[in-house]
Amino acid sequence: MHIAEGYLPPLHAVAWTVVAAPFVVHGARAVVRQVRDEPETKLLLGAAGAFSFVLSALKIPSVTGSSSHPTGTGLGAVLFRPPVMALLGTIVLMFQALLLAHGGITTLGANAFSMAIVGPWMAYGVYRLVKRLGGGLTPAVFLAASLADLATYCMTSVQLALAYPDPASGVLGSVVKFGSIFAITQIPLAVSEGLLTVLIVRLLVKVSPAELIRLGVLRRPVEA
Amino acid sequence: MHSLDALAYTNPWRRRHPAEKAALALGLLSCAVVLPPWPGALLVGGVALVVLLGPVALRPAQVWRAVRAPLVFIAVGSVPLLVAVGGAVLVRFEPAGAGPALALAGRAFAALLGLVLFAATTPLADTLPRLERLGVPAAVTEIASLIYRLLFLLLDTIAGVREAQAGRLGFRTWRTTYRSVAGQSGAVFVGSFDRARRLEQGLALRGYTGSLRVQVEARPVSWRFLAVTAVVLAGVVTAAMVLG
Repeated sequence: MHIAEGYLPPLHAVAWTVVAAPFVVHGARAVVRQVRDEPETKLLLGAAGAFSFVLSALKIPSVTGSSSHPTGTGLGAVLFRPPVMALLGTIVLMFQALLLAHGGITTLGANAFSMAIVGPWMAYGVYRLVKRLGGGLTPAVFLAASLADLATYCMTSVQLALAYPDPASGVLGSVVKFGSIFAITQIPLAVSEGLLTVLIVRLLVKVSPAELIRLGVLRRPVEA
Repeated sequence: MHSLDALAYTNPWRRRHPAEKAALALGLLSCAVVLPPWPGALLVGGVALVVLLGPVALRPAQVWRAVRAPLVFIAVGSVPLLVAVGGAVLVRFEPAGAGPALALAGRAFAALLGLVLFAATTPLADTLPRLERLGVPAAVTEIASLIYRLLFLLLDTIAGVREAQAGRLGFRTWRTTYRSVAGQSGAVFVGSFDRARRLEQGLALRGYTGSLRVQVEARPVSWRFLAVTAVVLAGVVTAAMVLG
């Protein structure tokens, strides 16, 4: 769920843009350096960005009988690493604003912080932790994708709560209000995204091991 | 899915310089966010709607299609302002929140119309190469342009795969649905990287040196359009101050 255009007060919109900017600039500098050293990676990064956009267009079933869309931040972070995702995710969010009117220009900083920074870093941290603790690829990917999805929506709830604190209980009460709408309802969808991401990665291990090795996800072609 | 993009290529303002459209649309958007919601939201929303339905010649149904999904967020996101948490009753209806909730919904809707005005009149292919002049590194604008060009191919791939899976009863149960959606994603991953590799080989054969610069059509900026925009924006600000 993207924060819609005009939803945040001007000061909050500017503040979240300032907070997100160093991460996006760091990602952009890393990408510029990478492209300067290996010009051919530009095309792969284009493919990675387009893949990230398309991930959010997939329809996964939800418990209500309708369908929802995965955030794709978990899979993106595992495949392409958080600094690259900060830039690619911000570009994708800008495209979603200008092609679908989802999100917006004034809320780009806030959305980038939750979806292109907090989500991917949470995913990558969990992924590395589970792998370091001896967990296999499947639990690492499941937890990374699920928790990244949940972290994204929790961050969105905090952003909304800071903008619109509850008159009686302040920001904390507002976190509960927005969280119950945007984060708690997201738990089944986070599990759903985790399951889907596991299936996707298992499929990619089978059909595209060479790319996963190139991206550093697999060390050996037969790892599953 | 691509309705806004299609409108951006077919509307009467297609040939206008992106800076002109950005000045009007993003100017209105800024007014929506900065001005007091009443009457700011009404004025900005009204002007944006008149421009969309008038000079830009969109049909009301096309505007509705563009705004209906974000409107769900605006509606759902306004609900918490009508509820108070804490005190003797843990959760209760807060009548005093109706005003702020309406103001928030109004401001967000007006800003959304400003965004739609820019998105429905300006193709991304016109905007992206010009971002370089605003200081965005060439590598970043080129990657963004590549994403833009590739994503329509990938969305078509997904639509084709989804149709084939539906024909094979791939969405009959939750289990088959998950497997099918994972299959779509796998097909897109393999397809996108395969296409990137083939593009890389094709460019290498043409002496690729690292630059994907494309020719940007030179379009004069209409000072008359910008002057009218300035008058409209000044009128909106003045009216909001006087009436507010």
